[in-house]
Amino acid sequence: MILRDLIRRSGRSIKSAKGRTLLTALAIAVGTFALTLTLAASNGATQYVNKIISENFDPAELIVSKDEAIFGRGDNSKPREYDPSFTTILSNGGANTQLKRVTDDDIAKIKKVSGVDRIREDITVSLQYVTREGQKKYVGNVAAYNPFQKIEVKAGEATRRPEGKQIYLPEGYLEVLGFKSAEEAIGKTITLAISKPITGDTAKQIAATGASQDPNQIAKLSEQNITSEEFTVFSVLKKPTTSQPGTELYMYVSQDEARRLNDIATQGTVNYRKYNFVYVRVAGGEEAKKLMAVQDELKKQSFSAQSVKDTQEFLTSIIGVLQGIVAGFGAIAVIASVFGIINTMYISVLQRTREIGLMKALGMRKRDIGRLFRFEAAWIGFLGGIIGSTVAVLVGSGLNPWITDKLDLGAGNKLLIFRPTEIVALIIILMVVSIFAGWLPSSKAAKLDPIEALRTE
Amino acid sequence: MIEVRDVTKTYGKGDNLFTALYKVSAIIPTGTAAAIIGKSGSGKSTLIHVMSGLDHPSDGEILIDGKSLQDMKAKQIDTFRANEMSFIFQAFFVEANQTCYQNVMLPLEIAKVGRRDRRKKVEEALRAVDLIDKIDTLATNLSGGQKQRLAIARAIVNKPKLIFADEPTGNLDSATGELIIKLLFDLNKKLGCTLVIVTHDEELADRCKMKIYMKDGEIKQITPAPKQVKGAKK
Repeated sequence: MILRDLIRRSGRSIKSAKGRTLLTALAIAVGTFALTLTLAASNGATQYVNKIISENFDPAELIVSKDEAIFGRGDNSKPREYDPSFTTILSNGGANTQLKRVTDDDIAKIKKVSGVDRIREDITVSLQYVTREGQKKYVGNVAAYNPFQKIEVKAGEATRRPEGKQIYLPEGYLEVLGFKSAEEAIGKTITLAISKPITGDTAKQIAATGASQDPNQIAKLSEQNITSEEFTVFSVLKKPTTSQPGTELYMYVSQDEARRLNDIATQGTVNYRKYNFVYVRVAGGEEAKKLMAVQDELKKQSFSAQSVKDTQEFLTSIIGVLQGIVAGFGAIAVIASVFGIINTMYISVLQRTREIGLMKALGMRKRDIGRLFRFEAAWIGFLGGIIGSTVAVLVGSGLNPWITDKLDLGAGNKLLIFRPTEIVALIIILMVVSIFAGWLPSSKAAKLDPIEALRTE
Repeated sequence: MIEVRDVTKTYGKGDNLFTALYKVSAIIPTGTAAAIIGKSGSGKSTLIHVMSGLDHPSDGEILIDGKSLQDMKAKQIDTFRANEMSFIFQAFFVEANQTCYQNVMLPLEIAKVGRRDRRKKVEEALRAVDLIDKIDTLATNLSGGQKQRLAIARAIVNKPKLIFADEPTGNLDSATGELIIKLLFDLNKKLGCTLVIVTHDEELADRCKMKIYMKDGEIKQITPAPKQVKGAKK
């Protein structure tokens, strides 16, 4: 028999036992459902991570710190030696973690490493408040504008970068600062209030009055100790969809301005000119080799340097582990359904003993009989695959907006991304698995003695 | 021409040894309608199984048109059966949930007949048994006689040289049986194929040119006598 006829005949016998076939296929469908969604979630998560990274980071840059702890890799089981640059940050779990910081001396050292092109410090200044004439005061953060950050502008200039006293204002601030539209805000002045550390005479004054014992007094005094900086709104930023979490309402100024504001906020304190990390741009760092060379040299000098790719791999590896667990459950479901197929196929062979005898009497070859039943098994796998993946795609597409909303992924991002090629590959794998499951029953059919088979009444 | 030479068929071993056929010899000339007559257990079914290559003789030889089945490999026998032989059974063995068309198609698919010729051949066979108007009907909706006619259509669709019919009227009432017999003999004449009918129905046997009587695995009598047949061949 030729392949086409075998496939058609096997399909027909599947059709004639609809209930049995469907139930067996449903078992496979459960596994397929889980696997399809896992694949989709893996695609979506990877894509999301990649998008965040590519829209926020320069691939030719290294993130350099003095401390592994910033990348979540420090060893917390042993006490670490004191270093004057230490600061305390709040780690994800809410625990305090001490972090060695990058100083001006370190920056000078990094600059000397061959291949280093530019260095920009990671600067975020927490404002005392931001306001505008006649408006209330609001909290806010100002960060240095990162030239690789993808921005979407609601109004104002999109191509030029802010310089001098220009600022990017997120659209979230429009209404509260009394702007009716984004356009109206362009060119207007806003005031950033930065609290200066209480040092020198002021500190002496506080000590003299005994106000240092009274928190309310200190608060009042520090409020008097504020520098106001006027900035002109340069562009209004749309609510970002792929920013790093927590940075949605950041205002951005040029690197130089950010450094100046940071200096004001930290002058005279232990935090002055110390940075959690710096971005080191490597000349020609798009090439992995050059990037690696600098990375290795920095590591030799006991810096902790991570490339964008490392970050990406670190994040995707976490995703991978989670996906693996779900995929494992899917695979178990598929394996369990294999026994269903074996069982169903045995029943099919048993029911069609006579037909097998007839086909053999009519000269059908052993091999073809075996194939006929293996194709039948493949049909079950195919059906299960189609049902499972279709339901998964339907459910997934339906859930996507809800998931995006719940996980706050930002409009336009999907967690579940279905790729037709992957689904086709999955179905093919299922068919192969089914064929293996059908192996024993089909060889039983092939070995049937036609005379015995035809005697069955 | 089918030549059966000293064929013995035994099953089992030792004390359980059962001899189904013992030194059976017969010659059925091409185009002849031959009846194998005997009670159940006389070895008549075993004889056609051996003749068709479905079963292997323990001893002896089967020659079909001079070719020995014993010399052929399994694959060759299969091809041979697909192209030159056909079967009709007492219980019809038509696939109930397939249409007449699909039922008759089976031998063509097995024999790998090209797709273009199939429809024509199936229609021709169904026309010969007067079932052409049922071509797309499911076999389950046919009467007993129609089912056997369908089985005959399936048997003749690939123009075999040899048709084995195992009790073809056994499951039919006498009137329907009569129609089936008439059809079989008509086709035997029209197509010129050799027809071997296994039966215990003397009436049916009487209408065959050749009769082989069997008892306890041996041939008791052949009419006309083998000599006459051989003589006729000269």
